[in-house]
Amino acid sequence: MREAGETVGIQGVWKRRLPWWVEVLVRLVRTKPLGLAGAVILLLMVMAAIFADLIAPYGYAQIIPADRFAGYSKAHWLGADQLGRDLFTRIVYGARISLSIGFAAVLIASVVSLLIGVPSAYFGGRTDIFLQRLVDAWMAFPGLLILLTVLSLTGPGLVQITIVLGVSSGIANSRVVRGVALSIKENQYIEAARALGASPLRIMLAHMVPNTMATVIVLATIGLGTVILTEASLSFLGYGVPPPTPTWGGMLSLEGLRYMYDAPWMAIWPGVALSLAVFAFNMFGDALRDLLDPRLRGAG
Amino acid sequence: MRQYVLRRGLFVIPTLVMVTIVVFLMLRFLPGDVVHQMLEGYAYAPTVEALRRELGLDKPLLVQYATWIRDIFRGDLGHSLWTKQPIVQEFARRFPVTLELAILTILVSVVVGVGIGVLSAIRQDSWADYGGRVFAIAMLAIPYFWLAVLVVVLPSIYLRWTPVWTYVPFTENPVENLKIMSIPALVFGLTRAGPVMRLMRSSMLEVMRQDYIRTAWAKGLSEQVVITRHALKNALIPVVSIIGIQTPFLIGGSVIMESIFRLPGVGQFFFEALIRRDYPVVQGINLILATFVILLNLVVDLSYAYLDPRIRYR
Repeated sequence: MREAGETVGIQGVWKRRLPWWVEVLVRLVRTKPLGLAGAVILLLMVMAAIFADLIAPYGYAQIIPADRFAGYSKAHWLGADQLGRDLFTRIVYGARISLSIGFAAVLIASVVSLLIGVPSAYFGGRTDIFLQRLVDAWMAFPGLLILLTVLSLTGPGLVQITIVLGVSSGIANSRVVRGVALSIKENQYIEAARALGASPLRIMLAHMVPNTMATVIVLATIGLGTVILTEASLSFLGYGVPPPTPTWGGMLSLEGLRYMYDAPWMAIWPGVALSLAVFAFNMFGDALRDLLDPRLRGAG
Repeated sequence: MRQYVLRRGLFVIPTLVMVTIVVFLMLRFLPGDVVHQMLEGYAYAPTVEALRRELGLDKPLLVQYATWIRDIFRGDLGHSLWTKQPIVQEFARRFPVTLELAILTILVSVVVGVGIGVLSAIRQDSWADYGGRVFAIAMLAIPYFWLAVLVVVLPSIYLRWTPVWTYVPFTENPVENLKIMSIPALVFGLTRAGPVMRLMRSSMLEVMRQDYIRTAWAKGLSEQVVITRHALKNALIPVVSIIGIQTPFLIGGSVIMESIFRLPGVGQFFFEALIRRDYPVVQGINLILATFVILLNLVVDLSYAYLDPRIRYR
């Protein structure tokens, strides 16, 4: 088998080393069938989210009173809801909203985890103790309870939920980032940079942050599933993204479960979409973890 | 060991202080004035000023904090604005329900997760391995509240049978109590078996590569003995840490599970208070539960160090 980093060329014409992400992709295809399946599902969902306007046959808030609770038909592939809105359309648009919340929250989480984790590891001592006790304290709060408390104060909304989910999972992830940053700190190139008079800020930004990226990417991929699920739990309790914006969690919890007796498809399909996405994120994330950062195996 | 206990125990104090600060500041610094919100929906007092005074929010911040901490040390976490009852009393009445659900859930998730994890590890890269992992992660991907609602609703649709969910305390009728609690615990536990399975699988894989396992094989011991007596015993140690990791999640989830299965636990208490914007209760519950989790984590860490001597000598 070919080792990673070896030159791959078409009959030796191309001798350039491939970018790292291509190598990861090649290894994903070759050695991780479950991870690959996850990646394909995700790709399809992201495409659906981007091209929702082209794919969806109706508007997401388009009400057709005659089609209330309509079952499966050519006009409505997955049926219609209590207002006569096409379910397939709403699931496709739901992908856009749910995935946007997921990606945005995970981006915030990555930044927050770096902001806490890297300085905590680099400075050590009192800074580390202070920051870590803060993280301990935050992690001690039962997740859903603290999220609900914050959301009840700020009011539910797309932006609030994204920020709250992002910051809170960022704090949790910072623990792992700190661990990785601690081992990076021991490298000689950090010592060399310090000897050359580089400022702490420069060392952290130019030398430590890039090296934690593998970990951050893996945490983000796995975190996406958690964020989407948490949004669904919040919706279930009435603190999710307010209607008529379709999110999978909202469709499932707010309307789907309420009309379960009359229209079971309203609870089934958003649930399937949601579970499939979370499943795919987990599978893909697990594979990425093995490929990018074997140290993390068994975490989470 | 004593030194480890001392050091680990000392860390609890600053963490607890941080918890009080987070809880204290949350109601005061998040956007949106709490007092206005509380008066809008629920007339807890005639005027904004009156409510502010009742909650003690008119005093300087440090004085408010000091008073609050002093009251905590006296065992007084305030009272509900809605029922006028002391928070501690109501909490103590409801906590056993939530705790029982959490313990049963952990039990289910550990039994299932360890089972699949061990099988997955000893038959690595076989179909049993793939199947087990797919099952555990699929369960993780299914929203537990969705599964819970299905369990409640489906029998009544297809079997025309609606079970009656009336909570009976364990002390009154243990059999009836377990009958009622086992279903939410099973649903919740299955969806939480995934993390246990992953941890168990990787821990088992690591142990199976150790020298003493090779020695055990070389002695000609049967597979069963090697796995249960030699490997499993050591591989199980990290699973202890799962208890500490899962508990905050389980307590959080109790808000949902208790509302679906109508269990009179802390989760419902919290959610009712949240809806009524009864913030002293919300604040009190957050504080007690966070303290509980911190102390539980302390116990978990200490037992971990007891089980695995490498930890305490590091």
